[in-house]
Amino acid sequence: MIIAQQKPLEEIRRMITPYPRILILGCGTCMTVCDVGGEREVSYLHGALRVAGARSGNGTHTFSEYTLKRQCDSEFMELLIDKVSDLDAILSLGCGIGVQAIAERFVDIPVLPGVNTSFMGMAKEWGVWDERCAACGDCRLEDTAGICPITRCTKGILNGPCAGTKNGRCEANKDMDCAWVLIYKRLERLQQLEKMRRYYPPRNFRAIPRPKRLTRKISAEVGESDG
Amino acid sequence: MYSPENNSTRNHQTIRTDKLPLDHSLMPPCQAACPLHMEIREYVDLVAQGRIMEALQVIRSGNPFPSICAYVCTHPCEDACRRSQVDKPIAIRALKRFALEFGGDRMIHAEAETTQQEKVAIVGSGPAGLACSYYLRQLGYPVTIFEAHSELGGMLRVGIPQYRLPREVIDVEVQRLTQMGIEIRKDTRVVSLDLLFDLGYKAIFVTIGAHQSLKMGIEGEESSGVIDGATFLREVNLGFKPALGKTVAVVGGGNVAIDAARTALRLGTHKVTILYRRSQAEMPADPAEVQQAQEEGVEILFLVAPSKIKRTTRRLSVTCIKMELGEPDDSGRRRPMPVKDSEFSIEFDTLISAIGQAPRIPDDFHLRIGRGSAIQVDPATLTTNKPGVFAGGDAVTGPATVTEALAAGKLAASRMDDFLKHRYPLAGPEVRQSLAGDLLPDTIEMIKKISRLEPPILPPEGRARDFEPVELVYDWETATNEARRCLRCGIGAEILFQDKCASCLTCLRVCPYHVPHLDATGAIEIPSEQCQACGICVVECPAKAIILRKPYDRRHIAEELEHVLETAAQSKLNPLIIGFCCQYGLFGTGTLASLWSGARGGIWIVPVLCVAKVEADHILRAFESGAEGVFIAGCGEQCARENTASWVHQRVDKARKTLVQVGLEPERLQAFMLSTANEEPAKWINDFVEQIGGLYLASVIMQEVES
Repeated sequence: MIIAQQKPLEEIRRMITPYPRILILGCGTCMTVCDVGGEREVSYLHGALRVAGARSGNGTHTFSEYTLKRQCDSEFMELLIDKVSDLDAILSLGCGIGVQAIAERFVDIPVLPGVNTSFMGMAKEWGVWDERCAACGDCRLEDTAGICPITRCTKGILNGPCAGTKNGRCEANKDMDCAWVLIYKRLERLQQLEKMRRYYPPRNFRAIPRPKRLTRKISAEVGESDG
Repeated sequence: MYSPENNSTRNHQTIRTDKLPLDHSLMPPCQAACPLHMEIREYVDLVAQGRIMEALQVIRSGNPFPSICAYVCTHPCEDACRRSQVDKPIAIRALKRFALEFGGDRMIHAEAETTQQEKVAIVGSGPAGLACSYYLRQLGYPVTIFEAHSELGGMLRVGIPQYRLPREVIDVEVQRLTQMGIEIRKDTRVVSLDLLFDLGYKAIFVTIGAHQSLKMGIEGEESSGVIDGATFLREVNLGFKPALGKTVAVVGGGNVAIDAARTALRLGTHKVTILYRRSQAEMPADPAEVQQAQEEGVEILFLVAPSKIKRTTRRLSVTCIKMELGEPDDSGRRRPMPVKDSEFSIEFDTLISAIGQAPRIPDDFHLRIGRGSAIQVDPATLTTNKPGVFAGGDAVTGPATVTEALAAGKLAASRMDDFLKHRYPLAGPEVRQSLAGDLLPDTIEMIKKISRLEPPILPPEGRARDFEPVELVYDWETATNEARRCLRCGIGAEILFQDKCASCLTCLRVCPYHVPHLDATGAIEIPSEQCQACGICVVECPAKAIILRKPYDRRHIAEELEHVLETAAQSKLNPLIIGFCCQYGLFGTGTLASLWSGARGGIWIVPVLCVAKVEADHILRAFESGAEGVFIAGCGEQCARENTASWVHQRVDKARKTLVQVGLEPERLQAFMLSTANEEPAKWINDFVEQIGGLYLASVIMQEVES
């Protein structure tokens, strides 16, 4: 899941200042799950902006609300067509992907990001999310007992632990487990401790240039795919 | 500023959830068990909120004579109550009595107009007859009740002792029937139904009860000094005082036996002994009544049956035999078997046999008689073999309960209406789907255990000497607290919009009762029979995919809030303070009720049915409309639910963060949760009001300075 955080209200208010008519657009997938951009948060942000407008006396905006099932697929956006005609801006509570997808589809309307897309992760419990994947494109989880050192080690080192591990905690953040201690313990449990002895050479970040693209479709001329 | 016409666009998607008129509530087990299918959950909830008059309205709409049921109903609802799986069932009957007494039931006036031509005769004035006449009269028929005795009420009058059902209760109801224009003919025994037809009656309801006592079938049963229970109770209840002597035996284990024993005691008998051939567990009498009888000094000999009665010069010598329990019989109870050579004799002055009753239908009625000498009817239409003659009550079912008789009377009235209008029986009101299934151990574990509060009863030493009602009425606080124990079965949360559900598992994680779970396909399910209707998942669902089954529960906070804001805007009292206060228990009926009446400044209360349902959105809405302060007052430790306080704090925290960002002080929003009964919410609130007053003054001065 993609995890995000809502932008401070001041920032959102500053962004929307030039636009009188705004659609607050939620996303029914990741942003709903991480509780920043689902239908409920759309309604809450709407309420907050109304309070701000009423209290500061500069609220000349009119808002509408809608929540798409997923902002990152253009087919869903067809549902918006009759709602965007009298809009000055769309305040998207989708992740960075959603914002861009909306911008790509509605080329004449400014699209404003309402959230800061933070990481790919999972819920630890209700209301707590942890990062788990950096989308590095070169997964080594088989060797690290299913625990990703790139995201869970503060330094992201591939051959750990570093000398800063202390009582299983990270020197940079004493509340955080040292990822490499976790890896060691799990390998021990799996009786694969020999994997700790291996050396992992630095990865080649030039392998896939940005922006990345994956194609599953078979190209008609060449007859093969790279996905 | 925000223009009002945009309100419609604001909610254009939320309309789908919050404003849905769909009533998805399920019929709770109590209602399903009630022969009259009364809206028990609704009136218990209204009592819990202290809205007694409305509770009374709900009760009256489902029951023609609730005051009678409030005293003598055998409350099958309480037997079905699912709270008994947690601790003990809700005291529904006692709560009904509370609602009737405090809601002013005696003052309710009944009226009816004659709109139909066809005269209808009711033969017998027991509960079935009275109910039937009540409903037929409401439909506009001219109704005549024929009663053989000198007083109306049938078994209510001649069978049930006064200490269980005061006579003025029946009198009030009968008076109401007279007000409605029902003709009453007492001391009139109907001997022939044909005669009634000759007199111009177009339909007849025969409801003559089951007054004939069954014989014990033992030697000496006809001796003087042996009397049957029904006759005995009838004589006492009609004002006679039979001479019983000093010691009395009562044979039987049903309610009539207990009534006879306690009545005998009240007539001055020194010692009353009940002989019952099975053990206490098999006794059909209401356990509470049995206990009360024992407290009053009635002795019960279990596993004992009389086998022979011999009249000596002044007393009865009763030979008894001891019994033991064998295999279960047709009734499911274990069959008593005599123990060999265990006979013994006891002497009594009087023996009252109360082993059961049956109807006795006059031959001249020419009605077909079925099992147990009862009238044979079609159970769906209550028609007999004679056209135009309907029958119901004990005369059809054999001895049964008052509520069953009322239900039969109600059914008869609508079927007689169908008959007189020459139409096929109309379908009854659409029956809602019933809630089925028990609570799971996991759910039970999480439900707060709250012991049942019984209504006060007279102490045994005082009550056994007269016929004053034994059970008293709840006081206000006890009644509301008892009503709050209701689990509100069948009005819980449901995922209405599976397409919106993002499977985020929030509901599963926030439920205090561990109710939502994943089914085999990985979809989230909220089993209706487990849900406790706390509303936490509804508020927390980020997709707004979950709703409460009852439309009122979905919208009442938003509606009340808008109403309050509108009224407050007109009053122009400053500073405006909005309080979301729990309507249950102490806050609803006690402290805040007085705060409300003596409202100082601009405090406006939005009554909510549990503060766990207050959303951060509601709080913002209040601030948007110019509230200077908002507070939430809940019951804290006293709450019948789990985790409400912590969820209120979550939402307060969220709203406070927003307040800070729009430049308002976070202190403008407070949550007050009672942790003990001794705390004084009024004081907290006064302090809060003063604080808000200060902030308001400061902001006014700032504005002056700036301008």
